[in-house]
Amino acid sequence: MIARFVGASPLALILVALGPTVSGAHVGSPDVIFDGKAGPYDVRVIVRVPMVVPGLADVVVRVLHGDAQRVFIRPVFWRSGVTGSPSPDAAKPVAGASSLYAGQLWLMARGAYSVYVTVEGASGSGIVSVPVMSVATGRLGMSSELGVLLVALGALLVVGLITIVYAGAGESVVEPGRTLDRPRRRRARTIALVAVPVVCLAVLGGARWWQSVDTQYLARMYRPLATRSSVTRLAGHPILRFEVIDSTGEALRLDPLMPDHGKLMHLFVIDSARMTSFAHLHPLFDDSATFSTTLPPLPPGRYRLFGDVTFETGQTRTLTGIVSLTRDDSVRAADFIPPERDDAWTSAVGTMRHDHLATIDTLEDGSTMEWLADSSSIHPRAEATLHFRVRDPHGAVATLEPYLGMNAHAVIARDDGSVFIHLHPAGTISVAAQEAFALRDRGDTTAKGRLRLGADTEGQHAMPMSGEFSLPYAFPRAGTYHVWVQVCRAGRVLTGAFDVVV
Amino acid sequence: MDAHAASTADAWHARAVVFAAACVMVGVYWDISWHMTIGRDSFWTPAHLLIQAGGLIAGVSSGYVALRTTFAGTPQQKAASVGFWGFRAPLGAWVCVWGCGAMVTSAPFDNWWHNAYGLDVQIISPPHMVLALGIVAITVGSLLLTLARQNQTRGREQQQFGMLFTIAAAFWIMNVWIMLSEYSYKEFMHSGLFYRVAATYYPLVLLTTARANTLRWPATKAAAIYMAITLALMWTLKVFPAEPKLGPIYQHITHMVTMDFPVLLLVPAVALDLVRQRLDGRVRDLWLAPLLAVVFVASFFAVEWPFASFLITSLSRNWVFNGANYVYFMTNQYVAHTFEFANWDPWTRALAPQLALAVVLATVSSYIGLKWGAWMTKVRR
Repeated sequence: MIARFVGASPLALILVALGPTVSGAHVGSPDVIFDGKAGPYDVRVIVRVPMVVPGLADVVVRVLHGDAQRVFIRPVFWRSGVTGSPSPDAAKPVAGASSLYAGQLWLMARGAYSVYVTVEGASGSGIVSVPVMSVATGRLGMSSELGVLLVALGALLVVGLITIVYAGAGESVVEPGRTLDRPRRRRARTIALVAVPVVCLAVLGGARWWQSVDTQYLARMYRPLATRSSVTRLAGHPILRFEVIDSTGEALRLDPLMPDHGKLMHLFVIDSARMTSFAHLHPLFDDSATFSTTLPPLPPGRYRLFGDVTFETGQTRTLTGIVSLTRDDSVRAADFIPPERDDAWTSAVGTMRHDHLATIDTLEDGSTMEWLADSSSIHPRAEATLHFRVRDPHGAVATLEPYLGMNAHAVIARDDGSVFIHLHPAGTISVAAQEAFALRDRGDTTAKGRLRLGADTEGQHAMPMSGEFSLPYAFPRAGTYHVWVQVCRAGRVLTGAFDVVV
Repeated sequence: MDAHAASTADAWHARAVVFAAACVMVGVYWDISWHMTIGRDSFWTPAHLLIQAGGLIAGVSSGYVALRTTFAGTPQQKAASVGFWGFRAPLGAWVCVWGCGAMVTSAPFDNWWHNAYGLDVQIISPPHMVLALGIVAITVGSLLLTLARQNQTRGREQQQFGMLFTIAAAFWIMNVWIMLSEYSYKEFMHSGLFYRVAATYYPLVLLTTARANTLRWPATKAAAIYMAITLALMWTLKVFPAEPKLGPIYQHITHMVTMDFPVLLLVPAVALDLVRQRLDGRVRDLWLAPLLAVVFVASFFAVEWPFASFLITSLSRNWVFNGANYVYFMTNQYVAHTFEFANWDPWTRALAPQLALAVVLATVSSYIGLKWGAWMTKVRR
């Protein structure tokens, strides 16, 4: 507990701001958005997580359906559970907006949290948990105004202190009424001159201390796990190996994972040049650090890998990597047998969505997927609801089958790869993390032990498998984004591809 | 107005600044207790308001005295002041203005710090040190203002300002004790670091204020007042019900948690007073300082070592000794560690060389204290 500080150069820190942020799960898209039910109430919960720990999370709760009267929010840390969380706070109604509540919660520790939202109203009380990751992803820079103010105040204090030393060594010890004689004045000057380097050294020491705190902070910031990926051939099939490694290049054993939508990993393979080739695969463990799967027919090129995993501790992470596919690594579509029936891929160019107009993409089986028109354009960081409608080749609204327990899955990626998110109608949360918190609360596990999973974690979610669905999201910043939306119809996974400028 | 009238006219200022120092130190104690118990705070918590009120009382009253002395001061008031960038006021007033300035500077710095690196749950951080310097300055300013009056007056009034000076000294000791609290947990009291740190800071404060004080047994009285204040705060604050408003919560607290039982400075203070009564002024400071250092380290060690052996046991986990002051974010494993001595010391040597080093540090500390105290006896303005 003893803080050992050596250390100091604040000037070097002034105006330092870090680049794009990463978050525990997903890449460059730290805000969490959830659509679902809190008992009888339909709610949308947005959690804007802070970039520092401990930090304040902004929580917004929109009651979409139901007569709510009061909304409470509460931060639950994985390790301490509900019993170790502070009593709930009332979220305040937002003036001028009906059924909108807002509040702030302190996330004090690093790791998996869940924001428990309780809605009370005419239909009774309902509660839902929204998992979020608490990780330090950035360090605030200092504005030039504040920098100038602090330097000015600091300079005043230094000069003031030396003046006090001069007055203390000189005038203060002269009897009232007498004047400061020449020898004492000279002595006071000498003492003040000695004080100058002493005070400067103290300031320098403080600056070095600040520098060391900063270095320690940066060392403890979240950084993605290092990975290594390669393609080998096995019986004529290209096998992708995706391995988590430590700083020496050795395989890094991962904490126990839990399946999300029935899969230990959802691996997304996206070509980095044009971002038209896209695959959603489900690798299996070779060992505790290595995942592997057979690659579908993808054209040669350089691909970005994004692997979403959920740990039994409720933490979620996106493992990232790069792999280059040569012509030899491509398999003919006719020869390919997918190892998993839920694996899906496409190499179609996305249909560009112009402003907020309706956009239609034709799917492989002749059906269509329409991104419905919105009343306004999409703005960065503003919550948006992306509405979709799938029609069969005859034009009727299609009936969908569950795809990984949901009626749709989507991936949104910025064209430079700096933003990646996997979402579904429930939003950006990991359903597995939500289940982990629910299991933990029932006392099925201990802080140290393995999570005893329920019989079914594949998530048979009671959702209408309608051809119409919506995905809640807040695009983190301006740019060109690629959107892939996947549904299952007549036993086939179909992928609609769209491009949008935010 | 004669010189005596001038000094009594400013007596209110000396009293106001001692009151300000009291507000600040009680506020700091309360704030730490708040962070140990409730966790969540804002600019407007009562503890923060008390600290800010103290800073304002010291800064504004001193600023007023400076403006009045400069622009409307009597010749006597001007004569009892020092110059500062063209303005005039007693030295203690300038130290208080400086302290208020440092406290004001720390506010935006600390706010930025929390946003940049996260809310810190530690006492020792760069912006907190700027605040602490401001608080030390207000304490030292209160010492100087009471001192100047004590040194200029005689008889009952001198006694009265001597007492005020002693109270201000007690707040300075309390300030140092709080700054050293992260080195002074009961688990650390059998490691050399605790004794080295104590030997570096306490002799300086005790001897500076003792030598400048005109009362008898000055260090003893200051140490007794420090212990009385910290014990009174420890025993009263924890009576109030409170619960944590931040998680994760590992200790379910139902009342305010307060700081550890204060270090037993009363005994070394008596020893220092005894030595000074016999030898101060008769031997050179260069010889007196190492003697005082040995006496301090020996007496401090003699009381703290066995007292720590008691504090570490379950017998101290009661209202009187406050051994069970577990902070809400302490895990049970950590609580278990409070029942055993830890050695966090980066310098792992046997105790004897550790104590020898403590004596060396205490010698430097004592020498600075004696010299500073000697200067203080001469302060007239």
